[in-house]
Amino acid sequence: MHIPQRARVLVLLLIFSCASVAQRLSAKHAQLELISQQSTSVPGGQLWLGVHFILEKGWHIYWVNPGDSGQPPVFQWQLPPGFVAGEVQWPRPEKMQHSQMADYGYHDETLLLLPVQTPKQAPKNQRINIGAEAKWLICREVCIPDHAHLQLSVPVAENGSDDPKVAPLFAGTKQLLPKPLPSAWRARAESRGTKVVLTLTTGKSIASAEFFPLEENQIESGAAQEVSAKPAGVQITLQKSDQLLHPISRLKGVLVLAGKAYAVEAPVTEQ
Amino acid sequence: MKKLLKPALYLSILSVLVLSAVAAKVGDAAPDFTATDSNGQQHHLASYKGKYVVLEWHNQGCPYTKKHYESGNMQRLQQEWTAKGVVWFTVISSAPGAQGYVTASQENDYLKKIHASPTAVLLDPEGTLGHMYAAKTTPHMYIIDPQGTLIYNGAIDDHPTSDASDIASSKNYVSTALQEALSGKPVTQAATRPYGCSVKYKD
Repeated sequence: MHIPQRARVLVLLLIFSCASVAQRLSAKHAQLELISQQSTSVPGGQLWLGVHFILEKGWHIYWVNPGDSGQPPVFQWQLPPGFVAGEVQWPRPEKMQHSQMADYGYHDETLLLLPVQTPKQAPKNQRINIGAEAKWLICREVCIPDHAHLQLSVPVAENGSDDPKVAPLFAGTKQLLPKPLPSAWRARAESRGTKVVLTLTTGKSIASAEFFPLEENQIESGAAQEVSAKPAGVQITLQKSDQLLHPISRLKGVLVLAGKAYAVEAPVTEQ
Repeated sequence: MKKLLKPALYLSILSVLVLSAVAAKVGDAAPDFTATDSNGQQHHLASYKGKYVVLEWHNQGCPYTKKHYESGNMQRLQQEWTAKGVVWFTVISSAPGAQGYVTASQENDYLKKIHASPTAVLLDPEGTLGHMYAAKTTPHMYIIDPQGTLIYNGAIDDHPTSDASDIASSKNYVSTALQEALSGKPVTQAATRPYGCSVKYKD
Protein backbone atom coordinates (compact mmCIF):
# COMPACT_ATOMS: atom_id res chain seq x y z
CA MET A 1 0.00 0.00 0.00
CA HIS A 2 1.34 3.37 -0.92
CA ILE A 3 0.97 6.05 1.73
CA PRO A 4 2.14 9.52 0.73
CA GLN A 5 4.89 10.98 2.88
CA ARG A 6 2.69 13.76 4.28
CA ALA A 7 -0.04 11.36 5.30
CA ARG A 8 2.54 9.14 6.99
CA VAL A 9 3.79 12.11 8.99
CA LEU A 10 0.22 12.95 9.95
CA VAL A 11 -0.47 9.39 11.06
CA LEU A 12 2.68 9.40 13.17
CA LEU A 13 1.67 12.72 14.65
CA LEU A 14 -1.77 11.43 15.49
CA ILE A 15 -0.39 8.36 17.18
CA PHE A 16 2.50 9.83 19.13
CA SER A 17 1.87 13.50 19.59
CA CYS A 18 0.25 14.77 22.73
CA ALA A 19 -0.65 18.06 21.05
CA SER A 20 -3.84 18.96 19.25
CA VAL A 21 -3.82 18.55 15.47
CA ALA A 22 -5.61 21.06 13.35
CA GLN A 23 -5.83 21.44 9.60
CA ARG A 24 -5.59 24.74 7.81
CA LEU A 25 -7.88 24.90 4.78
CA SER A 26 -7.70 27.13 1.76
CA ALA A 27 -11.01 28.68 0.84
CA LYS A 28 -12.07 31.48 -1.50
CA HIS A 29 -9.88 34.49 -0.60
CA ALA A 30 -9.36 33.08 2.89
CA GLN A 31 -7.70 30.39 4.90
CA LEU A 32 -9.32 28.92 7.95
CA GLU A 33 -8.54 26.56 10.71
CA LEU A 34 -10.28 25.11 13.76
CA ILE A 35 -7.85 25.40 16.67
CA SER A 36 -7.78 24.77 20.39
CA GLN A 37 -6.28 27.04 23.03
CA GLN A 38 -5.34 24.06 25.18
CA SER A 39 -3.13 21.26 23.93
CA THR A 40 -5.20 18.70 25.85
CA SER A 41 -8.82 18.32 26.85
CA VAL A 42 -9.09 17.80 30.61
CA PRO A 43 -12.10 15.82 31.93
CA GLY A 44 -14.46 18.22 33.68
CA GLY A 45 -12.58 21.21 32.31
CA GLN A 46 -13.28 23.84 29.73
CA LEU A 47 -11.78 23.82 26.27
CA TRP A 48 -11.59 26.99 24.21
CA LEU A 49 -11.92 26.38 20.49
CA GLY A 50 -11.60 28.99 17.80
CA VAL A 51 -12.25 29.24 14.09
CA HIS A 52 -9.37 31.27 12.77
CA PHE A 53 -10.15 33.17 9.57
CA ILE A 54 -7.17 34.64 7.72
CA LEU A 55 -8.54 36.82 4.93
CA GLU A 56 -6.91 38.12 1.79
CA LYS A 57 -6.30 41.84 1.80
CA GLY A 58 -9.46 43.85 1.23
CA TRP A 59 -11.87 40.98 1.93
CA HIS A 60 -14.13 40.84 4.95
CA ILE A 61 -16.54 38.55 6.79
CA TYR A 62 -19.41 39.58 9.08
CA TRP A 63 -20.21 40.02 12.75
CA VAL A 64 -23.21 38.30 14.37
CA ASN A 65 -25.27 41.36 13.37
CA PRO A 66 -23.96 42.02 9.87
CA GLY A 67 -25.49 45.51 9.66
CA ASP A 68 -27.12 46.69 6.44
CA SER A 69 -26.04 43.77 4.25
CA GLY A 70 -24.16 40.49 4.43
CA GLN A 71 -24.51 37.39 6.57
CA PRO A 72 -22.65 36.15 9.66
CA PRO A 73 -20.76 32.84 9.56
CA VAL A 74 -22.73 29.88 10.92
CA PHE A 75 -21.30 26.69 12.39
CA GLN A 76 -22.68 23.25 13.04
CA TRP A 77 -20.50 21.66 15.68
CA GLN A 78 -19.79 17.96 15.77
CA LEU A 79 -18.64 17.01 19.24
CA PRO A 80 -18.09 13.62 20.90
CA PRO A 81 -20.86 12.46 23.29
CA GLY A 82 -20.94 14.39 26.54
CA PHE A 83 -19.05 17.44 25.21
CA VAL A 84 -21.21 20.56 25.40
CA ALA A 85 -20.68 23.60 23.18
CA GLY A 86 -21.49 27.07 24.48
CA GLU A 87 -22.32 30.12 22.38
CA VAL A 88 -19.96 31.54 19.79
CA GLN A 89 -18.11 34.51 21.29
CA TRP A 90 -17.70 37.31 18.74
CA PRO A 91 -14.83 39.79 19.05
CA ARG A 92 -15.93 43.38 18.65
CA PRO A 93 -16.34 44.20 14.97
CA GLU A 94 -15.26 47.13 12.86
CA LYS A 95 -17.77 49.36 11.15
CA MET A 96 -17.46 49.37 7.38
CA GLN A 97 -19.20 52.42 5.99
CA HIS A 98 -19.95 52.68 2.30
CA SER A 99 -22.28 55.23 0.78
CA GLN A 100 -25.07 55.72 3.35
CA MET A 101 -24.87 52.18 4.64
CA ALA A 102 -22.69 50.37 7.11
CA ASP A 103 -21.83 46.75 7.73
CA TYR A 104 -20.16 45.20 10.78
CA GLY A 105 -17.41 42.66 10.37
CA TYR A 106 -13.77 41.75 10.23
CA HIS A 107 -10.88 42.36 7.86
CA ASP A 108 -7.46 40.64 7.77
CA GLU A 109 -8.03 38.02 10.43
CA THR A 110 -10.31 37.10 13.25
CA LEU A 111 -10.82 34.27 15.70
CA LEU A 112 -14.41 33.31 16.53
CA LEU A 113 -14.38 31.56 19.89
CA LEU A 114 -16.37 28.63 21.22
CA PRO A 115 -16.20 27.43 24.84
CA VAL A 116 -16.69 23.67 25.15
CA GLN A 117 -17.24 21.74 28.35
CA THR A 118 -15.35 18.44 28.55
CA PRO A 119 -17.35 15.76 30.40
CA LYS A 120 -15.92 14.39 33.67
CA GLN A 121 -16.01 10.86 32.31
CA ALA A 122 -14.10 11.66 29.08
CA PRO A 123 -11.77 8.72 28.45
CA LYS A 124 -8.18 9.64 29.21
CA ASN A 125 -5.26 8.89 26.90
CA GLN A 126 -7.48 8.91 23.84
CA ARG A 127 -7.91 11.49 21.16
CA ILE A 128 -11.22 13.14 20.49
CA ASN A 129 -12.27 14.44 17.09
CA ILE A 130 -14.13 17.70 16.76
CA GLY A 131 -15.71 18.84 13.53
CA ALA A 132 -17.51 21.92 12.32
CA GLU A 133 -19.56 22.55 9.21
CA ALA A 134 -18.89 26.20 8.53
CA LYS A 135 -20.82 28.44 6.15
CA TRP A 136 -19.89 32.05 5.63
CA LEU A 137 -20.06 34.94 3.25
CA ILE A 138 -16.87 36.72 2.20
CA CYS A 139 -17.08 40.08 0.46
CA ARG A 140 -14.91 42.73 -1.10
CA GLU A 141 -16.65 44.71 -3.85
CA VAL A 142 -18.54 41.47 -4.50
CA CYS A 143 -19.75 38.75 -2.17
CA ILE A 144 -19.02 35.03 -2.33
CA PRO A 145 -20.75 32.42 -0.17
CA ASP A 146 -18.44 29.61 0.92
CA HIS A 147 -18.43 26.58 3.19
CA ALA A 148 -15.97 24.07 4.62
CA HIS A 149 -15.70 21.10 6.92
CA LEU A 150 -13.21 21.87 9.69
CA GLN A 151 -11.56 19.23 11.84
CA LEU A 152 -9.50 19.12 14.95
CA SER A 153 -8.17 16.28 17.06
CA VAL A 154 -7.27 16.80 20.71
CA PRO A 155 -5.90 14.28 23.23
CA VAL A 156 -7.77 13.85 26.53
CA ALA A 157 -5.37 14.00 29.47
CA GLU A 158 -5.33 14.53 33.22
CA ASN A 159 -3.37 17.75 32.95
CA GLY A 160 -3.91 20.57 30.59
CA SER A 161 -1.87 23.50 29.47
CA ASP A 162 -2.17 26.14 26.82
CA ASP A 163 -0.71 25.41 23.43
CA PRO A 164 2.09 28.01 23.23
CA LYS A 165 1.67 28.30 19.44
CA VAL A 166 -1.86 29.67 19.67
CA ALA A 167 -2.19 30.93 23.26
CA PRO A 168 -1.24 34.54 22.35
CA LEU A 169 -3.87 34.56 19.58
CA PHE A 170 -6.56 33.39 22.01
CA ALA A 171 -5.42 35.86 24.68
CA GLY A 172 -5.45 38.74 22.19
CA THR A 173 -8.89 37.78 20.89
CA LYS A 174 -10.37 37.52 24.40
CA GLN A 175 -9.32 41.15 24.91
CA LEU A 176 -11.68 42.02 22.05
CA LEU A 177 -14.71 40.25 23.54
CA PRO A 178 -17.29 42.55 25.12
CA LYS A 179 -17.02 42.57 28.92
CA PRO A 180 -19.91 43.17 31.32
CA LEU A 181 -20.21 46.79 32.45
CA PRO A 182 -18.36 47.47 35.74
CA SER A 183 -20.93 47.23 38.56
CA ALA A 184 -20.71 50.94 39.40
CA TRP A 185 -21.61 51.99 35.85
CA ARG A 186 -25.16 52.64 34.70
CA ALA A 187 -26.61 52.45 31.20
CA ARG A 188 -30.03 53.81 30.29
CA ALA A 189 -31.77 54.42 27.02
CA GLU A 190 -34.53 56.83 26.11
CA SER A 191 -36.65 56.95 22.99
CA ARG A 192 -36.98 60.47 21.52
CA GLY A 193 -38.94 60.46 18.26
CA THR A 194 -36.75 58.97 15.56
CA LYS A 195 -33.78 58.73 17.93
CA VAL A 196 -32.70 56.59 20.84
CA VAL A 197 -30.40 58.24 23.36
CA LEU A 198 -28.06 55.94 25.26
CA THR A 199 -26.56 57.43 28.40
CA LEU A 200 -23.70 55.77 30.19
CA THR A 201 -22.77 56.97 33.66
CA THR A 202 -19.29 55.95 34.76
CA GLY A 203 -18.29 58.76 37.11
CA LYS A 204 -15.80 60.11 34.59
CA SER A 205 -16.29 62.17 31.45
CA ILE A 206 -15.90 60.17 28.24
CA ALA A 207 -15.29 61.91 24.92
CA SER A 208 -15.55 59.15 22.37
CA ALA A 209 -17.69 56.04 22.05
CA GLU A 210 -19.15 53.83 19.38
CA PHE A 211 -22.23 51.64 19.65
CA PHE A 212 -22.76 48.39 17.71
CA PRO A 213 -26.38 47.21 17.87
CA LEU A 214 -26.80 43.47 18.43
CA GLU A 215 -30.43 43.31 17.37
CA GLU A 216 -31.30 43.77 13.73
CA ASN A 217 -33.99 46.29 12.83
CA GLN A 218 -33.44 48.58 15.82
CA ILE A 219 -30.75 51.07 14.89
CA GLU A 220 -29.85 52.45 11.47
CA SER A 221 -26.31 51.14 10.98
CA GLY A 222 -25.25 53.72 8.43
CA ALA A 223 -26.47 56.80 10.32
CA ALA A 224 -23.95 58.95 12.16
CA GLN A 225 -23.84 58.46 15.94
CA GLU A 226 -23.81 61.71 17.84
CA VAL A 227 -21.50 61.38 20.83
CA SER A 228 -21.46 64.02 23.56
CA ALA A 229 -19.25 63.93 26.61
CA LYS A 230 -21.07 64.37 29.94
CA PRO A 231 -19.43 65.31 33.26
CA ALA A 232 -19.97 61.77 34.57
CA GLY A 233 -20.06 59.75 31.35
CA VAL A 234 -21.20 59.93 27.78
CA GLN A 235 -24.39 60.23 25.75
CA ILE A 236 -24.82 58.65 22.32
CA THR A 237 -27.70 59.56 20.05
CA LEU A 238 -28.67 56.78 17.65
CA GLN A 239 -31.00 56.85 14.66
CA LYS A 240 -33.85 54.33 14.79
CA SER A 241 -34.03 51.87 11.92
CA ASP A 242 -36.31 52.40 8.90
CA GLN A 243 -37.47 48.85 9.47
CA LEU A 244 -38.65 49.59 12.99
CA LEU A 245 -42.42 49.51 13.39
CA HIS A 246 -42.79 48.93 17.12
CA PRO A 247 -41.15 50.73 20.02
CA ILE A 248 -37.78 49.30 21.07
CA SER A 249 -38.20 47.81 24.54
CA ARG A 250 -34.56 46.90 25.15
CA LEU A 251 -31.46 48.27 23.52
CA LYS A 252 -28.78 45.59 23.18
CA GLY A 253 -25.34 46.05 21.79
CA VAL A 254 -21.63 46.44 22.22
CA LEU A 255 -20.23 49.77 23.32
CA VAL A 256 -16.60 50.49 22.51
CA LEU A 257 -14.87 53.02 24.75
CA ALA A 258 -11.17 53.77 24.26
CA GLY A 259 -10.67 50.46 22.47
CA LYS A 260 -12.46 48.41 25.15
CA ALA A 261 -15.70 46.64 24.34
CA TYR A 262 -18.60 46.37 26.81
CA ALA A 263 -21.86 44.47 26.53
CA VAL A 264 -24.75 46.87 27.06
CA GLU A 265 -28.38 46.01 27.60
CA ALA A 266 -30.71 48.73 28.75
CA PRO A 267 -34.49 49.07 28.90
CA VAL A 268 -35.73 51.86 26.65
CA THR A 269 -38.02 54.39 28.25
CA GLU A 270 -40.37 56.58 26.20
CA GLN A 271 -39.83 60.24 26.77
CA MET B 1 -25.05 87.54 -1.71
CA LYS B 2 -23.38 84.86 -3.79
CA LYS B 3 -21.20 83.93 -0.82
CA LEU B 4 -24.24 83.60 1.36
CA LEU B 5 -26.21 81.63 -1.17
CA LYS B 6 -23.62 78.94 -1.69
CA PRO B 7 -23.53 77.54 1.85
CA ALA B 8 -27.30 77.82 2.03
CA LEU B 9 -27.60 75.85 -1.20
CA TYR B 10 -25.20 73.18 0.03
CA LEU B 11 -27.09 73.00 3.28
CA SER B 12 -30.39 72.47 1.50
CA ILE B 13 -28.86 69.81 -0.76
CA LEU B 14 -27.41 68.14 2.30
CA SER B 15 -30.71 68.20 4.13
CA VAL B 16 -32.44 66.63 1.13
CA LEU B 17 -29.82 63.87 1.12
CA VAL B 18 -30.16 63.30 4.84
CA LEU B 19 -33.94 63.30 4.68
CA SER B 20 -34.01 61.02 1.68
CA ALA B 21 -31.96 58.41 3.52
CA VAL B 22 -34.87 57.79 5.88
CA ALA B 23 -37.78 58.71 3.67
CA ALA B 24 -39.11 55.26 2.83
CA LYS B 25 -41.04 54.52 5.99
CA VAL B 26 -43.97 52.16 6.05
CA GLY B 27 -47.18 54.12 6.50
CA ASP B 28 -45.78 57.24 4.83
CA ALA B 29 -46.26 58.36 1.25
CA ALA B 30 -43.77 56.51 -0.95
CA PRO B 31 -41.20 58.94 -2.39
CA ASP B 32 -42.26 59.94 -5.89
CA PHE B 33 -39.85 59.39 -8.75
CA THR B 34 -39.45 59.46 -12.49
CA ALA B 35 -37.07 56.87 -13.90
CA THR B 36 -36.11 55.45 -17.29
CA ASP B 37 -36.48 51.75 -18.07
CA SER B 38 -34.34 49.44 -20.22
CA ASN B 39 -36.53 50.26 -23.25
CA GLY B 40 -36.05 53.99 -22.85
CA GLN B 41 -39.56 54.52 -21.44
CA GLN B 42 -40.09 56.95 -18.57
CA HIS B 43 -42.08 55.87 -15.53
CA HIS B 44 -43.55 58.33 -13.07
CA LEU B 45 -44.64 56.67 -9.83
CA ALA B 46 -47.57 59.08 -9.34
CA SER B 47 -49.09 57.96 -12.63
CA TYR B 48 -49.49 54.44 -11.19
CA LYS B 49 -51.92 55.61 -8.49
CA GLY B 50 -54.75 53.12 -8.28
CA LYS B 51 -52.39 50.15 -8.61
CA TYR B 52 -50.11 48.25 -6.29
CA VAL B 53 -46.46 48.78 -7.18
CA VAL B 54 -43.60 46.45 -6.19
CA LEU B 55 -39.99 47.67 -6.25
CA GLU B 56 -37.31 44.97 -6.40
CA TRP B 57 -33.64 46.00 -6.06
CA HIS B 58 -31.53 43.86 -8.34
CA ASN B 59 -27.90 42.90 -9.10
CA GLN B 60 -27.61 39.92 -11.43
CA GLY B 61 -24.13 39.00 -10.09
CA CYS B 62 -25.11 38.91 -6.42
CA PRO B 63 -25.44 35.38 -4.97
CA TYR B 64 -28.61 36.37 -3.09
CA THR B 65 -30.22 37.67 -6.28
CA LYS B 66 -29.08 34.52 -8.09
CA LYS B 67 -30.74 32.43 -5.39
CA HIS B 68 -34.11 33.84 -6.42
CA TYR B 69 -33.52 33.94 -10.20
CA GLU B 70 -31.67 30.66 -10.82
CA SER B 71 -34.40 28.88 -8.87
CA GLY B 72 -37.11 30.72 -10.85
CA ASN B 73 -38.61 32.07 -7.62
CA MET B 74 -38.48 35.75 -8.59
CA GLN B 75 -39.82 35.10 -12.10
CA ARG B 76 -42.77 33.17 -10.59
CA LEU B 77 -43.54 36.07 -8.27
CA GLN B 78 -43.35 38.55 -11.16
CA GLN B 79 -45.71 36.45 -13.27
CA GLU B 80 -48.16 35.77 -10.50
CA TRP B 81 -48.49 39.36 -9.31
CA THR B 82 -48.35 41.20 -12.64
CA ALA B 83 -51.13 38.83 -13.82
CA LYS B 84 -53.17 40.18 -10.88
CA GLY B 85 -52.61 43.76 -11.99
CA VAL B 86 -49.64 44.59 -9.77
CA VAL B 87 -46.95 46.80 -11.33
CA TRP B 88 -43.50 45.27 -10.78
CA PHE B 89 -40.41 47.44 -11.19
CA THR B 90 -37.01 45.81 -10.98
CA VAL B 91 -34.50 48.52 -10.08
CA ILE B 92 -30.76 48.41 -10.81
CA SER B 93 -28.71 50.94 -8.80
CA SER B 94 -25.25 49.47 -9.51
CA ALA B 95 -22.82 52.18 -10.60
CA PRO B 96 -20.97 51.85 -13.92
CA GLY B 97 -18.03 49.50 -13.35
CA ALA B 98 -19.63 47.94 -10.27
CA GLN B 99 -21.13 44.48 -10.03
CA GLY B 100 -24.61 44.30 -11.52
CA TYR B 101 -24.27 47.37 -13.74
CA VAL B 102 -25.79 46.74 -17.16
CA THR B 103 -26.56 48.76 -20.23
CA ALA B 104 -30.17 48.81 -21.41
CA SER B 105 -29.55 46.24 -24.15
CA GLN B 106 -27.56 43.95 -21.84
CA GLU B 107 -30.48 44.03 -19.42
CA ASN B 108 -33.00 43.23 -22.15
CA ASP B 109 -30.89 40.24 -23.27
CA TYR B 110 -30.65 39.07 -19.67
CA LEU B 111 -34.42 39.33 -19.14
CA LYS B 112 -34.99 37.10 -22.18
CA LYS B 113 -32.35 34.63 -21.12
CA ILE B 114 -33.74 34.14 -17.61
CA HIS B 115 -37.42 34.53 -18.61
CA ALA B 116 -38.04 37.38 -16.21
CA SER B 117 -41.15 39.45 -16.72
CA PRO B 118 -41.25 42.52 -14.51
CA THR B 119 -43.41 45.39 -15.77
CA ALA B 120 -40.15 47.24 -16.42
CA VAL B 121 -36.53 47.41 -15.29
CA LEU B 122 -35.61 50.89 -14.04
CA LEU B 123 -31.97 51.81 -14.65
CA ASP B 124 -30.59 53.88 -11.78
CA PRO B 125 -26.79 54.02 -12.26
CA GLU B 126 -26.58 57.31 -10.32
CA GLY B 127 -28.32 55.68 -7.36
CA THR B 128 -30.93 58.46 -7.13
CA LEU B 129 -33.88 56.11 -6.74
CA GLY B 130 -31.87 53.79 -4.49
CA HIS B 131 -30.96 56.56 -2.07
CA MET B 132 -34.49 57.96 -2.18
CA TYR B 133 -35.78 54.63 -0.85
CA ALA B 134 -32.60 53.87 1.17
CA ALA B 135 -32.38 50.53 -0.63
CA LYS B 136 -29.68 48.53 1.12
CA THR B 137 -29.46 45.09 -0.35
CA THR B 138 -30.13 43.04 -3.44
CA PRO B 139 -32.82 41.96 -3.22
CA HIS B 140 -34.60 44.66 -1.18
CA MET B 141 -38.35 44.78 -1.69
CA TYR B 142 -40.95 47.54 -1.31
CA ILE B 143 -44.70 47.59 -1.88
CA ILE B 144 -46.69 50.76 -2.53
CA ASP B 145 -50.47 50.64 -2.29
CA PRO B 146 -52.96 52.23 -4.76
CA GLN B 147 -53.05 55.44 -2.65
CA GLY B 148 -49.27 55.79 -2.94
CA THR B 149 -48.52 54.72 0.64
CA LEU B 150 -45.57 52.46 1.38
CA ILE B 151 -46.99 49.27 2.90
CA TYR B 152 -43.94 47.00 2.88
CA ASN B 153 -40.19 47.58 3.21
CA GLY B 154 -37.78 44.70 3.67
CA ALA B 155 -36.63 41.23 2.74
CA ILE B 156 -38.10 38.97 0.12
CA ASP B 157 -38.51 36.13 2.62
CA ASP B 158 -37.57 34.89 6.08
CA HIS B 159 -34.42 32.86 5.15
CA PRO B 160 -31.49 35.29 4.93
CA THR B 161 -29.19 32.93 3.03
CA SER B 162 -27.90 32.55 -0.52
CA ASP B 163 -28.99 28.90 -0.63
CA ALA B 164 -31.81 28.22 -3.12
CA SER B 165 -32.77 25.03 -1.25
CA ASP B 166 -34.10 27.27 1.56
CA ILE B 167 -36.81 28.80 -0.68
CA ALA B 168 -39.26 25.89 -0.35
CA SER B 169 -39.44 26.28 3.42
CA SER B 170 -39.42 30.09 3.39
CA LYS B 171 -42.26 32.46 4.10
CA ASN B 172 -42.36 34.95 1.25
CA TYR B 173 -43.01 38.36 2.81
CA VAL B 174 -43.90 40.04 -0.50
CA SER B 175 -46.56 37.51 -1.46
CA THR B 176 -47.95 37.48 2.07
CA ALA B 177 -48.16 41.28 2.17
CA LEU B 178 -49.77 41.48 -1.28
CA GLN B 179 -52.29 38.76 -0.42
CA GLU B 180 -53.26 40.56 2.76
CA ALA B 181 -53.44 43.97 1.12
CA LEU B 182 -55.44 42.73 -1.88
CA SER B 183 -57.99 41.14 0.41
CA GLY B 184 -58.37 44.37 2.36
CA LYS B 185 -56.41 43.32 5.42
CA PRO B 186 -53.58 45.22 7.07
CA VAL B 187 -50.09 43.88 6.34
CA THR B 188 -49.01 41.92 9.41
CA GLN B 189 -45.26 42.05 8.73
CA ALA B 190 -44.80 45.41 7.07
CA ALA B 191 -41.09 45.90 7.73
CA THR B 192 -38.37 43.29 7.96
CA ARG B 193 -34.60 43.34 7.71
CA PRO B 194 -33.66 43.10 4.03
CA TYR B 195 -30.87 40.63 3.32
CA GLY B 196 -28.36 40.21 0.54
CA CYS B 197 -25.38 41.95 -1.03
CA SER B 198 -25.03 45.66 -0.46
CA VAL B 199 -26.36 47.80 -3.31
CA LYS B 200 -23.28 48.71 -5.36
CA TYR B 201 -23.80 52.48 -5.31
CA LYS B 202 -21.57 55.04 -6.92
CA ASP B 203 -19.12 56.34 -4.26
